[in-house]
Amino acid sequence: MTEIEYNRIVSLVSDTLVEAGSTFREDKKEAYRQAIKKEDNDNARWVLETILENAQAAEKNKSPLCDDTGIPHLVLEVGDNVSVSGRMLDAINEGVRQGLRKLPGRPMGIMGDDSQRLDQSGGLDPDSAGVAPAPVLLRRCSEDSIRLHVLMFGGGPAIRAKTYRVFHKHDTQTVLDEIVKWAVEGVSQLGCSPCTLAVGIGRSHFEAASMMLQAQADGRYDVQSEMEKQITDRVNAADIGPLGLHGKTSVLATFMKVGSQRASGVRIVCVRPTCCFEPRIAVVDLKEV
Amino acid sequence: MDITTPISDEAVSSLNVGDTITITGYILCGRDAVLPKIVKLIEEDRVDELGIELKGNVIFHTAVSPAGVGPTSSNKLEIESSIEPLSKAGVKLHLGKGRLSEKTIAALDKYNSLYAVIPPVTALLEDKTIERRVAAFPELGMEALHILKVDKYPAIIAAAHGRSIYD
Repeated sequence: MTEIEYNRIVSLVSDTLVEAGSTFREDKKEAYRQAIKKEDNDNARWVLETILENAQAAEKNKSPLCDDTGIPHLVLEVGDNVSVSGRMLDAINEGVRQGLRKLPGRPMGIMGDDSQRLDQSGGLDPDSAGVAPAPVLLRRCSEDSIRLHVLMFGGGPAIRAKTYRVFHKHDTQTVLDEIVKWAVEGVSQLGCSPCTLAVGIGRSHFEAASMMLQAQADGRYDVQSEMEKQITDRVNAADIGPLGLHGKTSVLATFMKVGSQRASGVRIVCVRPTCCFEPRIAVVDLKEV
Repeated sequence: MDITTPISDEAVSSLNVGDTITITGYILCGRDAVLPKIVKLIEEDRVDELGIELKGNVIFHTAVSPAGVGPTSSNKLEIESSIEPLSKAGVKLHLGKGRLSEKTIAALDKYNSLYAVIPPVTALLEDKTIERRVAAFPELGMEALHILKVDKYPAIIAAAHGRSIYD
């Protein structure tokens, strides 16, 4: 990789991170517009309108949607006849660092040794770039491309997310019932609803969380499966509403990914009730660099 | 209704759950790390050392960073447990997000204080923030106690006079 190619990747990834932290995708804007249209609770409608207005301001200013700018999570898709080198991963990491400074990201990296990072006694890194990204998730794609999804994960949803086993009793409905139960508990405590429910189901905690991440990379508000619709409708029936102030829209949509499963009575389920801004996501193709 | 700080007892008495308000003037910002330190100073009768007037003031549960401001969950242990002692010390409005316990709502009523939720609209709040500076505990960085001068921050009264919007 030449210096020019390296710098080009850094620049693309930096811009992509800023876009992820500041921009609603069009299908999300439309989901909000539809929610506003059908909401008859005045407080709930006011919240939805304010969130959409905030998104317009953030996109225009290329500034953070939320002051919790989040922890970068990366999904790298590798297509036919392309290769990923260590140098490319270095460029991606540098792009993340530069993007965090440009957004700007909240400087919330914790310094110090293992114990100091746990009790926060080592202090905060004043550099926005001190927020290290989570490990990169690599997956295959069919196109001839190297596609990078950048997602920014906030702290509120992390507090309310849950990854645990479900005894399915050989009935899909049992699993869906448990997801709805966890989601109602989580969304009611979230404080930043309406949320998008991100759900992953796998054979281990790692796999379930990985599926949850991929569900956000692939999910669309205008394409919903029957199971996703059922979860959304049942959580909305709980009347939690935007910011918990009651109303019809507790959940805008559900993004669920079901992975391989094992011959067992157990499914490992990960439910993340993402906030009103998440998934904060943008994607870039690095193939042409 | 437009609220200007410092907030009077009469203004508190006139507000009810579900009222949409805007807040203008100087307000305080603090969250998990700094609020227990303020409470400790109150308990030790040393809060005057901060050189800050708590009576009539607003506490916004937020960090203050280059990314801006936005509410964190007010029902986190270290934040919610600060609401009663701060109200007793004269704070009239606690600004954050999320459901509070019945005990906290009763304490707000006891000291004629309010809780309001503010949407996490950082980009909009940035346009309404006129000044910002660290007021105490600078070593806490973005979690230090900050003073902001704000113009028409939007919020909804979520707990007042023993009632909660979440009921």
